[in-house]
Amino acid sequence: MTEKERIGIIFCDPPGGHERVDLTELIYFARDKLKIPVIIEQSRYLFSDYRVLVETIVHHKLSKVVLSGVNPDRFLNITRTAMLESGYAARSVVIADFGDGYEALKSDLGGLKNSVEQVIANLRAEKKTFQTLNPDTIVIGGGIAGIQASLEIAKAGLKVHLVEKSGTIGGHMAMFDKTFPTLDCAACILTPKMVEVGQNPNIDLLTYAEIVSVSGDPGNYIVTVNKKARMVDLDTCIGCGTCSEKCPAKVTSEFDTGTTLRKAIYMPFPQAVPNKYLIDAENCRFVQEEKCGVCVKVCPVENCINFDEKDELIEIPVGHIILATGFKVFDATKAAQYGYGEIPNVLTSLEFERLINAGGPTGGFIVSRTQDKKGNWIFKEGSPEPKKIGIIHCVGSRDENFNTHCSKVCCMYSLKLAHLVKEKLPDAEVYEYYIDMRAFGKGYEEFYNRIKEEGINIIRGRTAQVTQSNGEILMRSENIIEACIEEQLVDMVVLSVGLEPGNENKQMAEMLGIELDQNGWFKESHSAYLPVDTQSPGIRIAGVCQGPKDIPDTVAQASAAAAGVIQNILSGRVFSSSTQSPHKTKLETVS
Amino acid sequence: MITRVNPGLKKDLVEFGLQDWNDCFHCGNCTALCPLTRNDNLFPRKGIRLAQMGLSEKLATNVDPWLCYYCGECSDSCPRGAQPGELMMVLRRWLTATYDWTGLSRKFYTRKSWEFSAIGIIAAVIIAIFVFLLPPANDLASNPEAYLNDQGGVMINSMVTGIDSEHFMDYIHTGDLIMALIIAGFLISNILNMFLKVIINDKTVRIPFRSYFTEFWRLIFNFGTQARFSKCDNKSYWVGHLLLMTGYTILFTMIVAFLPKFQIEEITPWYNWQRILGYYATFGLMYFLIYTTIGRIRKSDQKMRFSHPSDWIFIVLLGLTTISGILVHIFRLTGLPAMTYYTYVIHLAILVPMILIEVPFSKWSHLAYRPFAIYFDHLKKAARKKAAKVQFAAA
Repeated sequence: MTEKERIGIIFCDPPGGHERVDLTELIYFARDKLKIPVIIEQSRYLFSDYRVLVETIVHHKLSKVVLSGVNPDRFLNITRTAMLESGYAARSVVIADFGDGYEALKSDLGGLKNSVEQVIANLRAEKKTFQTLNPDTIVIGGGIAGIQASLEIAKAGLKVHLVEKSGTIGGHMAMFDKTFPTLDCAACILTPKMVEVGQNPNIDLLTYAEIVSVSGDPGNYIVTVNKKARMVDLDTCIGCGTCSEKCPAKVTSEFDTGTTLRKAIYMPFPQAVPNKYLIDAENCRFVQEEKCGVCVKVCPVENCINFDEKDELIEIPVGHIILATGFKVFDATKAAQYGYGEIPNVLTSLEFERLINAGGPTGGFIVSRTQDKKGNWIFKEGSPEPKKIGIIHCVGSRDENFNTHCSKVCCMYSLKLAHLVKEKLPDAEVYEYYIDMRAFGKGYEEFYNRIKEEGINIIRGRTAQVTQSNGEILMRSENIIEACIEEQLVDMVVLSVGLEPGNENKQMAEMLGIELDQNGWFKESHSAYLPVDTQSPGIRIAGVCQGPKDIPDTVAQASAAAAGVIQNILSGRVFSSSTQSPHKTKLETVS
Repeated sequence: MITRVNPGLKKDLVEFGLQDWNDCFHCGNCTALCPLTRNDNLFPRKGIRLAQMGLSEKLATNVDPWLCYYCGECSDSCPRGAQPGELMMVLRRWLTATYDWTGLSRKFYTRKSWEFSAIGIIAAVIIAIFVFLLPPANDLASNPEAYLNDQGGVMINSMVTGIDSEHFMDYIHTGDLIMALIIAGFLISNILNMFLKVIINDKTVRIPFRSYFTEFWRLIFNFGTQARFSKCDNKSYWVGHLLLMTGYTILFTMIVAFLPKFQIEEITPWYNWQRILGYYATFGLMYFLIYTTIGRIRKSDQKMRFSHPSDWIFIVLLGLTTISGILVHIFRLTGLPAMTYYTYVIHLAILVPMILIEVPFSKWSHLAYRPFAIYFDHLKKAARKKAAKVQFAAA
């Protein structure tokens, strides 16, 4: 912008109840000696109405504001927000304060005078004028929320950088078999969106990358991203899989939640986007011991696999950040009473989700875990089918010993899993133990009633203990409705584990200067009408990283977050929706 | 059948130490986890439910709180931190007060001033008896050798003036018997009251007359072994409690029935049965006291996290009784007649109020209520079994 820079100084009044300080001397000094064009000496009316503040800034065309007077830092945030809304950078608000406080100020203005002089001199010395808003956006997290938000913004013709820490986008949803309550195939909804992300020219996809640091102001951030060494060239890899076939190093697959093995050079799952291989350096024999390198020998493309590739730090300038980092599932070994990790056929719901998925370890056949020749407990096609399956709700949720929050989705996905069991094994008995059945969404109560009619035993009462008993598994609970102790022998137990905030949430919140709520989720500005806004007007949140929610809500939030970002970019100003008042009052003059 | 709701029950239970019950969301985790609960006796959740609904009559009929030994597992694993185990403890206090027809138990549990005054008055009476009727011999301090026997021990029955040695022991023995009769009178009448509330007022069962006799062994068996307690997952609680119970019972029986056998002028050799039993009992009491005091101060154990004043009064009184008893023994053996006399008086001034107040009206009444609760519970089970049989035969 070429507009001339105008500096305004606002002298803040003391807080209510305190006697006013006579600043006349200072005001004359600022006007006559420092030649400051706009001097506002009475701030009480200014800060009592946010609209007045914005109008004042616009009216006087203030590009820089100096806050001075008594405790000016009280008004720093509101002034910054107002400057942002008026189209200036937040850092154009500067404080000129005198550290000794109110009492000292009453007797001597000299300190404050020096301070104001210094600040004004510094401001005038600065060559840089205010920056314009950067129209690019970064989306952190490539799950369904990140995918949806990226697509919304990209389809509006704007540039998006989508950063995902694993080798593929898709997140947890890619691991699910079906979605409730419609029982649509999760992959059938998700994979077209993933492909769209991969193909959209406005989306710059950065997989296997993590955020390192963020600097700058709303509207003008510099995000530093660590692009981890993939060691496979994304441009030349044709995804043929020859390398993976020959790779001798086997490790448990993250995508299949440890139920299958993958190689050290791998594609997370067949529909991965980008549909390219990557090397897991920790388990690669060549990287660790320099003894192997078979993948390079068999790769049909020259120079595709490059072991010398190192992690790379790149700086991305953006205007907005959308956080869609999702969740981690509760670690069921913590709930020791359920024997997870000790009893082979006690599974988490995510493991069971992979087991019933046609792309899972058994091709979708539900079987019990059996021992192989080496003594490892594995899922193998052809193993005996479980005849009775128990499902325990609220594992790690609504529990003072672990997480007090309700994970919201477990009731519904447990009902869905029960249905899928009945679909694949019609003769199997399913026992579901719940505390309260929370069928909260559209069509969910109907879904619950439908499942009840399918002959699934749905029992009110939290299972207290799961123990092994003669090769079977014993579940002990109190049946609240029938008022009796229920001891149920089953072949397999599914623990409906809850959702927890990601490990990196705290670090991320500190980096971005936003807050977490008491459970560790990112805090929204207002839970009812500003569910995707944060305290920082340049940062929006979407999906489960804000709190547990199901897929429809996640998608809706992602679109909402994208809408806010698009609104800001098109208007050229960074709004914080929390400060927008519906009625615009026009003010002519403010003294 | 009319079910009356008592809206003041919560306020009432708060006076007995209730923290909060609103936390419970009735998941049944506590009941399912408890190794003692059975389909006939579902606790602790059922107790919480009855209490929440204010059904005090049903609660009074219910013996479940006595069947719980407070291992604390339910409170540990409660997803709401609702302390179901502590509620069982509160209900036991409340039931003790409900069974007690005199109303003293309620006063002692809910008003500290009442309990302290009662202890003080009884202690004062004991001390007054010694000061006015059984003062120490005139030259007890100045001429201690006159009161020592051949082995150098204190001749305990000769240390008072005015009466000869045999009569002093008789006075004390008679006093013990009177004390035993008083507490037996209160306890038995309270147990009758319990029987009335638990069996007679419960119109849902008709007890077959035979079972009063066939089930009676359970009362004796459970009193003697605390076998039910051993079913809790943590066995160390049971061991500690058994040591306390046997130690206490042995000492009580010895004092009431066999005082003439050990309050004698000679010092018997250490291997005599009186002394062996006494040492065992002292060990049992001290083990329990140290374990419980540390536990209640540290609050590391779920069982001892919450301490009602009655819990502390019990520990302090028992501790002082035990320590003063040990001191009497030491002074007697080392030949210090004056010290023996004064510690003897202090010992009785603590022991008598403890037994008179704690056994019929406060925490120690559970020594009778627990085995009786098991007995009554089995009577009801027998009744239900018979009713089921009759129904089956009729069908």
